Amino acid sequence: MDVILVDIMKGAMSVVQLPKVNELGFFEIRLESIGGLGANLAGKMLAEAGVVGAGMNGVSFSSYGSEKKGSPVKAHIRFCDLNTPIRDTSPVERPHVVGVFHESLAKTVNVISGIYEHSTVLINSTKSSEELKEVLGMKAGMIAVIDASSIALKEKNRVNMAMLGAMFRLCDFLDPEIMKGVIEQSLGKKYPQAVQSALTTFDRGYNEVKFLHYELPAGESMPQYVRSDISSLGYDTQPIGGVITNPGNSFLKNLSISRSGMLPAFEKESCINCAQCDTVCPDLCFVWEERIDKKGRSQMYLEGIDYQYCKGCLKCIEACPTSALSSQRETEGYADSHTVHHLFDLITQS
Amino acid sequence: MAIDYEKEVGSAKVEQKFLYESGNEMAAYAAHQINYHVMGYFPISPSTEVAQFLDTMKANGQHDIMLIPSDGEHSSAGICYGASTAGGRVFNATSAQGYMFMLEQMPVQSGTRMPMVMNLICRAVSGPLNIHGDHSDLYYALNTGWPILMCRDPQSVYDMNLMALKLAEHAKVRLPVMVASDGYFTSHQKRRVQAFANRADVQKFVGEQPPTGFTDTLDRNNPVSVGAYMNEPDTINNRYQQSVAMYNAGDVFEEIAKEFGEMTGRHYPMVEEYRMEDADVAVFLMNSSSEIIKDVVDQLRLQGVKAGSISPNMIRPFPQRQIAEALRNVKAITVGDRADSVGGHGGNMVNEIKAALFTYGNTTTKVISRIYGLGGKDFYAEDGHNFFQLALDAVAADRVEVPFDYYGHNVGALEKAPQRVLKPMDFESLKTGLITVKQDEITGKLSVKIPPLRSLTKKPKRISPGHGACPGCGIFSGLEIFFKGIEGDVVTLYHTGCAMVTTTGYPYSSHKSTFIHNLFQNGAATLSGVVEMFWERKRRGELDDLGLQEDFTFVMVTGDGGMDIGMGPAIGAALRGHKMIIIEYDNEGYMNTGAQQTYSTPLGHRTTTSSIGKHQQGKTTQHKDTAQIMAATNISYVFTGSEAFPQDLVKKAAKAQWYAQNEGLVYGKILTACPLNWMSDDKEGTNIVSLAVETCFFPLYEVEQGITTITYNPEDKDKRVDLSNWLKTMGKTRHLLKPENEPALRSFEDEVQRRWNRLKAKHEHPDL
Repeated sequence: MDVILVDIMKGAMSVVQLPKVNELGFFEIRLESIGGLGANLAGKMLAEAGVVGAGMNGVSFSSYGSEKKGSPVKAHIRFCDLNTPIRDTSPVERPHVVGVFHESLAKTVNVISGIYEHSTVLINSTKSSEELKEVLGMKAGMIAVIDASSIALKEKNRVNMAMLGAMFRLCDFLDPEIMKGVIEQSLGKKYPQAVQSALTTFDRGYNEVKFLHYELPAGESMPQYVRSDISSLGYDTQPIGGVITNPGNSFLKNLSISRSGMLPAFEKESCINCAQCDTVCPDLCFVWEERIDKKGRSQMYLEGIDYQYCKGCLKCIEACPTSALSSQRETEGYADSHTVHHLFDLITQS
Repeated sequence: MAIDYEKEVGSAKVEQKFLYESGNEMAAYAAHQINYHVMGYFPISPSTEVAQFLDTMKANGQHDIMLIPSDGEHSSAGICYGASTAGGRVFNATSAQGYMFMLEQMPVQSGTRMPMVMNLICRAVSGPLNIHGDHSDLYYALNTGWPILMCRDPQSVYDMNLMALKLAEHAKVRLPVMVASDGYFTSHQKRRVQAFANRADVQKFVGEQPPTGFTDTLDRNNPVSVGAYMNEPDTINNRYQQSVAMYNAGDVFEEIAKEFGEMTGRHYPMVEEYRMEDADVAVFLMNSSSEIIKDVVDQLRLQGVKAGSISPNMIRPFPQRQIAEALRNVKAITVGDRADSVGGHGGNMVNEIKAALFTYGNTTTKVISRIYGLGGKDFYAEDGHNFFQLALDAVAADRVEVPFDYYGHNVGALEKAPQRVLKPMDFESLKTGLITVKQDEITGKLSVKIPPLRSLTKKPKRISPGHGACPGCGIFSGLEIFFKGIEGDVVTLYHTGCAMVTTTGYPYSSHKSTFIHNLFQNGAATLSGVVEMFWERKRRGELDDLGLQEDFTFVMVTGDGGMDIGMGPAIGAALRGHKMIIIEYDNEGYMNTGAQQTYSTPLGHRTTTSSIGKHQQGKTTQHKDTAQIMAATNISYVFTGSEAFPQDLVKKAAKAQWYAQNEGLVYGKILTACPLNWMSDDKEGTNIVSLAVETCFFPLYEVEQGITTITYNPEDKDKRVDLSNWLKTMGKTRHLLKPENEPALRSFEDEVQRRWNRLKAKHEHPDL
């Protein structure tokens, strides 16, 4: 870990009391994000603030795999008192706090899996807690809302700083002043100009997070948690040798959660069908159609973008020689209403 | 081990400090305190971080270990072997396939008695490829003749690394020692860890210098012959010496662990027993899960069940006596093996435990064997309870119902079985006829006609959307342009790398036509086999009823990393002249494992193993010129290309196809952006690779039948720009523009200019 962090935090050791713990003595946090938003780093800083700063015992780790930037990732943190042995290496399945860095994740990932009726779900969103309760399908618990993306955009900093600020507010056993000291020192050396914006972003996260608690309706119970390591294919249904006998089936996936705020907008009228966008697109998003042109020749025409696969890299906008493609902040429902779907040559199931 | 902090501070005799670190960080931390002489390494998840952390520390001047980035694990092991014959201290870390690739070196290291320390960050062995933690690589180590120390958490990774060196160098041992910890569970989880506060204390413990009086290939007055040829009457005596040394290692470890325990308050018996004093039922597990099971033991004890657990801190030599003693009064034990010895009626551990019981006359303890946690499948406390239940059931029934089975596998619901969704691609639409290649009857050279890119959008893309590459990844745009130039059916083979893992995350595949992935280094060999089987089966008329309209074009896709580790097989395939194309996407690093330097990484560029600090400013050597290396095999067609010049690339692809169908192997390299690791804006990829061309860092040219043609010369168009214009666009290179790095920038510019001048000379003179 950062030497700086140790130095700053050395003086701050004191005995802290965790607000609640599970049967093994842990207060557990799970961060749900997509690669690239800095959840891993935020989790690391949060854990270090607890272990090094507040003198607790703890463990932290992230999910690892072939995931790249833009794919769903999780970070896990456990805190306990100094004499509680840490033996568990399994992922946090029953979190006391969940931090959701990217609201759209809820579309494809059960971000609230395993929460207790008294757990807190912090979510980066512009929606009201009432709407979010609906979106997340939350029966009970505390919903904490922070518009981290807007704050980050405004303060020219990162989403994770705003989320970290809000997390500190939720984990009131941690001292935000220590964290701010760390931010100041660790950024100060390399990027002194970024210190103030990081601190402001952190503070705004801390101050602007809004909470609302929902009681569990009488007679209802929280959903049972489902272990995250059960595969849908089994030894009777997996083709032998790990061979995939379903060519090209990745088109069934929805990658729209990989976008972190921006997307390309297409204006057909200005398009000259030069295919520059198609040439540079890494995600095969452009949809073409063959038609007869004015001279009676068969020609290819760009029909639009299949946003299901667009990760929002905006390379196409750089490549576009006209104004047909432009970048814009993604608003709710835009992609769905403007998408032009690819047509796949499907096997019709009998 | 669980640390009782109060007790520990009280009993430690050496000053310690506490850190919050992962297993990999602690392996690196121990290595830097020891200050090994040499580490030869090669990136592989999850062990790569060890070299990365050491590189960062080196850049900051915290140690002076010579870190040698090798061209594959066979080489890293070779570097380590050579270094260990030469009298100094040697360190390495690897995992899974990396270990398998260096396996041949392991018994030589031990059989010729060259001490070193290697961390095995345990991970599942392919195939299919899985990067997560199990013990299948570790089980291959059991017969290599290396003592093996086991680590249950980051603390023991640190402690074992200190003890391992002392053990390896001990006069009664003189063997290389392996330190095994669990990939991700231990390597990537941060814990509170105690470490020696002063390096001097570490040096005192391990000895400031390695002991003398042993083989040293640098001792000019005492020349030795290492690695002699040995005949049949002698080998068995060499092996017996080794066997004695191995069993000595057990006793010596106990001595070292005792000394270490007195110094630090942390004790490592050969076998750790947890609440075994009066246990009726027990569970045996190794490393990280042996910690989880202790929580289960505590819970069962509260319920009145006399439960206990055991786990070894050393498995070579196998602590046979200690295990037999621990189980003397146990009625039943469940042994969990995190790897199978397929067909052996149990994993390696259960069978060695059974042998231990038998050897010590115990015929009453019932043993249940379960294979669990393969491929990194998590082990939860719930699973531990199930393991104890198996033992309790055996006690109750007085027999073991199912002595051996897997645990945690699932049958799968039939309704969720994979159903094919896409029809095969229509041949006619792949064979557009829009691209024509003609051979000039006199010159023998090819002329290619291609339509506007717009028309080529009609051609189906070979890849389905939905792959998991990062936003702005240049691999797929680059490859797609290349494939636009290929008409008809293809069979592709991808080397391990970003393009492979992001298109084949089980049970999804983005490949619409047949795709093969084998191993990181031997794609060229593998595809050679496919190609020759194609021609042989075609000759025998066996393909006639498979719906093939024209010959396949066989394409191997590799990254620049795959062309480092796979350079030998690629050259071999080129020299054999198989009818196939090798297309390399060069993003200047091992990006799939987290941006380590490859030989294609240019001078001064920053990667996670060419860090920037007070003592180091990025990579120290110039970039590899793979296109020229391949051209030197005298194959009929070599080319370079870029998505910034799509027409040029489509034409070259068409030529490549012609040569691969009519002559033999073709090699092409495309430069592709990696925004994440180039530290550039996602949208800038095309512009950045365009600048790489305009600066003449990455010239576009072809070598056709030995004759070099520059296909785009920025000087002719007055578009050439200084390297700095390209370097300033990426976070990984911006430091090169600082005044203190001027010498490195000059050196890089000179090298680029020298290669460009030579290329121009070749362009002008067909004989060059």
